[in-house]
Amino acid sequence: MTSPSELRKDPISGRWVIIATERSKRPDEFRADRQPIIRKSSAVLFCPFCRGNEVKTPPEIYAVRGAGAPPDEAGWRVRVVPNKFPALTRGDTPVRNCRGLFESLDGIGVHEVIIESPDHDKELPDLPPDHVRDILSACQSRFRSIEAEPQYGYIQLFKNKGQEAGASLSHPHSQIVATPIIPKRVKEEIYASERHHRRTGDCLFCRTLSEETEAAERVVRANEYFTAVAPFASRFPFETRIFPRRHSPYFSAAGPEEIAGLGEILQSVLTKLKSILDDPPFNIILHQGPHPTRARKVWPEIDRISHWYIEIIPVLTRIAGFEWGTGFYINPVAPEDAARFLRG
Amino acid sequence: MNKILIVEDEEALCLLYQEELTDEGYEVTTVRDAEGALDLLRRGHFDLIVTDIRMPGRDGVELITQIVGLRKDIPIVINTAYQSYKDDFMTWAADAYVVKSSSLTELKVRIKDLMTR
Repeated sequence: MTSPSELRKDPISGRWVIIATERSKRPDEFRADRQPIIRKSSAVLFCPFCRGNEVKTPPEIYAVRGAGAPPDEAGWRVRVVPNKFPALTRGDTPVRNCRGLFESLDGIGVHEVIIESPDHDKELPDLPPDHVRDILSACQSRFRSIEAEPQYGYIQLFKNKGQEAGASLSHPHSQIVATPIIPKRVKEEIYASERHHRRTGDCLFCRTLSEETEAAERVVRANEYFTAVAPFASRFPFETRIFPRRHSPYFSAAGPEEIAGLGEILQSVLTKLKSILDDPPFNIILHQGPHPTRARKVWPEIDRISHWYIEIIPVLTRIAGFEWGTGFYINPVAPEDAARFLRG
Repeated sequence: MNKILIVEDEEALCLLYQEELTDEGYEVTTVRDAEGALDLLRRGHFDLIVTDIRMPGRDGVELITQIVGLRKDIPIVINTAYQSYKDDFMTWAADAYVVKSSSLTELKVRIKDLMTR
């Protein structure tokens, strides 16, 4: 780049980002003294997700465990349980209430927790590949099950790792939340891809992937099924997206080889982030089309215009007044540099 | 008679819970902070614990993780004015989460459920 900073527009969200390379930092400059997770007292003696504490979780709804091992007891590798104290609870089609300008909806939904390992300290980079595959298969199985319930608008898989990323417990876990509405950000992605499809006949995500692959400078890693890139208009340092190379709107449609390929690339990117950024806090978010039943009614083209992907956002900078006020982000690391560090 | 330990830093609420739960047929002991609660638990037997979260000194979430470390089988009810602690998975050490209200109906129902479990 010739100018010290640049405004970039993300083709998927339509969001503008300032890439401020004059403030560029090396990965080790983001290393900071971080407080040990999560509660300050060393006297905390209990973790509800650890092996042996199954009695403190609600009954499991999915588990990967040894043959013959009874449910809700030790002997598992991955467990999925409903949130014990959920904000949204399961229910039928929600009632919409309108009073003048004020619109509300019953708080129905799904909130589940994927406990990724019985070991408190084993994160995704530390697990054997077949264990990571089991975690992803567990998530996929839950997606398929929730997709059979048409009252939901969107299913979100996310992982918060580290206190700064919103985790309340250091034991490795992810969460699935299904909401009764289609969130605004999801609609914005659909609108952008719909516009692109109308204009070109292409899938916006396939096209982005194809141009990123051709440019190569922001490609972090690739395998037979997935490509990881530092997006052209990354909002945050070392933000990474993992796109399936096969066009598909839904994570639930990924085949077993794709799940294995996803596990491989996810583990490899997270291992690299852990090493160059000193085990940073991060969020992982799975983006996909709205709930298929509703999406196919509202957007008959949904299977052509939507394309699932995974976003990894290391939490290295703070969102402050300017970002909240304008929706603009200032990113001190050019994605080309981030990709180079992540490839190296 | 089932014995309940109430951990609550507000004196007026301690009196209210003591009166209402005694009327329900429980033997009620109240204590104003986590340290006091742990001390009572080490010295005596209780069938159920009701605890506030925001208290001076150690908070209620830390208290329940310590209680479970001592005795995993004792039922615990979180009784707080705040919904937001539901986001903290450490609250799963408890068996029920009740948001404080002027009516004690939900608290009484949760206690009864756990006592008869």
